Amino acid sequence: MREQELIGVLVIFGGFLLITPVLSVNRVTDFMIFCIFAMSFDLMYGYMGRLSFGHLLFLGTGAYCSGLFLKYVSKNPLLAIIVGILVAGLLGMLIGLIIVRTTGACFALINLAFNHIGFFLVLSPLRKITNGEDGFGIHASPFGFLNFSSRTTMYWFVLICLVLVFYLLKRVTSSPFGILIRSIKEDETRVKFLGYNTFLYKWVTFVLAGSAAGLAGTLTALNYNYVNPNVMDVHSNVGAVFACLIGGAGSLYGAIVGGVSYMVISNYLPIYIQRWEMFLGIALLMIIFRFQKGIWGYLQSVWEYVERRKTVLRAMGAGAVKR
Amino acid sequence: MIHTIVYGFTIGAILYFITIGLSLTFGMMRVINFAHTLTYTLGVYMLVSLGALFKGYFVIAAMIAVVVVIPISYLIERYIIRRLYGESLDHTFIATFAVALIGVDTIKWIWGVRPYPLSDPIGEYLMIWGLTLPIYRIVIVMIAILLFIGLEFFFRKSIVGKIVVAALEDKDGVGCLGIDVDHYFSIVFMMGSALAALGGVLYAPISSVHPYMGLSILLLCFAVVIVGGMGNLRGTFVSALALGMVMAVTARYWSQGAETMVFIVMAIVLIFRPIDI
Repeated sequence: MREQELIGVLVIFGGFLLITPVLSVNRVTDFMIFCIFAMSFDLMYGYMGRLSFGHLLFLGTGAYCSGLFLKYVSKNPLLAIIVGILVAGLLGMLIGLIIVRTTGACFALINLAFNHIGFFLVLSPLRKITNGEDGFGIHASPFGFLNFSSRTTMYWFVLICLVLVFYLLKRVTSSPFGILIRSIKEDETRVKFLGYNTFLYKWVTFVLAGSAAGLAGTLTALNYNYVNPNVMDVHSNVGAVFACLIGGAGSLYGAIVGGVSYMVISNYLPIYIQRWEMFLGIALLMIIFRFQKGIWGYLQSVWEYVERRKTVLRAMGAGAVKR
Repeated sequence: MIHTIVYGFTIGAILYFITIGLSLTFGMMRVINFAHTLTYTLGVYMLVSLGALFKGYFVIAAMIAVVVVIPISYLIERYIIRRLYGESLDHTFIATFAVALIGVDTIKWIWGVRPYPLSDPIGEYLMIWGLTLPIYRIVIVMIAILLFIGLEFFFRKSIVGKIVVAALEDKDGVGCLGIDVDHYFSIVFMMGSALAALGGVLYAPISSVHPYMGLSILLLCFAVVIVGGMGNLRGTFVSALALGMVMAVTARYWSQGAETMVFIVMAIVLIFRPIDI
């Protein structure tokens, strides 16, 4: 583990521990699951530059598959999580073959179409096993010391998952592979021209993002002990986009900061302000027209400015000594 | 079966009204306008309020509702959409979605979240060859056909229409002739918004009125734009009617599958004929 990543992991770990007493364990668990989802979305949107309106499909697949596994096959929670991730990844592999070929609006809308189809599938044709609109409750038996019905165990487990996902994605995005993904965002034709098979890279990223979202889905299912079609409601997709933009797209820290901010806004603001959607809308307009880099990007540019000032001052100081 | 066809044409006609503006914005300015159906919802709510004022005069209330929407759409165009020209696609999406959020919340503020019932303003049935068809639906289809012909004339014969058609092909080229494309675009934008409001006003009596009605129909409209081709006016007409028919026929045999079928068609179209912007 390199120094930078270690610091990142520690900061995130400590940050979530710090906000837990202020908010509550249940809420922070929710927030962390959403952050995992936001990071997986950011891998595709921020790094690869492909906006998707249907990323919840993978979250829903993860939730439904692990839920159905727990309900019908075995009560082992860890196996359920693995099944959820695998099935979401497999789905990503399959539909990725079609989706990844497209760009821009086409990519966004074809994702949306698939998300709608998935939502419809669990709602109606698979009603017999998914119990349609009402959803179904699930019960996971304890696995060793991992008792998922306890709130604190769930909290720690999700925290560790979050840190693991962060570490993995950090490694992926800072590797040569990650650099290639970012260059695909900048100019795909040139990357192709350099002799890379961009389709393969995009496909792998798509599958990775899908699996990570699947993990978030399985955790959602375990957290609520309940799955219903709302987990993949097409209209909730905007949450992830907002989270990435508020935080700053193209950075995992940004996704986490944005995820927490979005969840705080959508969870707490309605208590104090009745017109919270209007507030969110105005905040988004401000972000788009003024702070396109988001909170994290803004912090980063402030940081860079301070660093530059420091070096300038140091240089001036050195000059003064010489004179 | 005749019923299904008439219903399909009705839905198709409504989709056509709403989609024209969306397709033009998409084709001309490369802006995905999520706020487009805001005007649709606004029109319907204006009708709800005006309908109470002008009891019994549906046509007058509807016309005023459509006219009232025009200045609002001008404000949206002037202060939001105009700033988004040339921005990347996702930014335009977020900004217009934010506008839609603000609009929906304003509607909730003024009118409340409670759904309003609106009844069929004609309420009579046409008896034809042993079939009973609501006259209102036939009127909607008639208006759609008239509108299509009218728009064809507008885009072929009038100067504004010709400029818009040319700008759809090559915006910069038209700009080079010394024509302020943005100015004409704002006219077209207001026209599209008014047509969306008209669609809403016509559709409201046969559907339900609630603040999120715009968002739920928006996805269908995107499907229409994709299937018909962006900025392709005749394509929009054909695809709106075709998808309306798809919905009606699916709903006849499998009522829950109606909307999903539209998205399946859209996915197939996208797979075989991808758009690239």
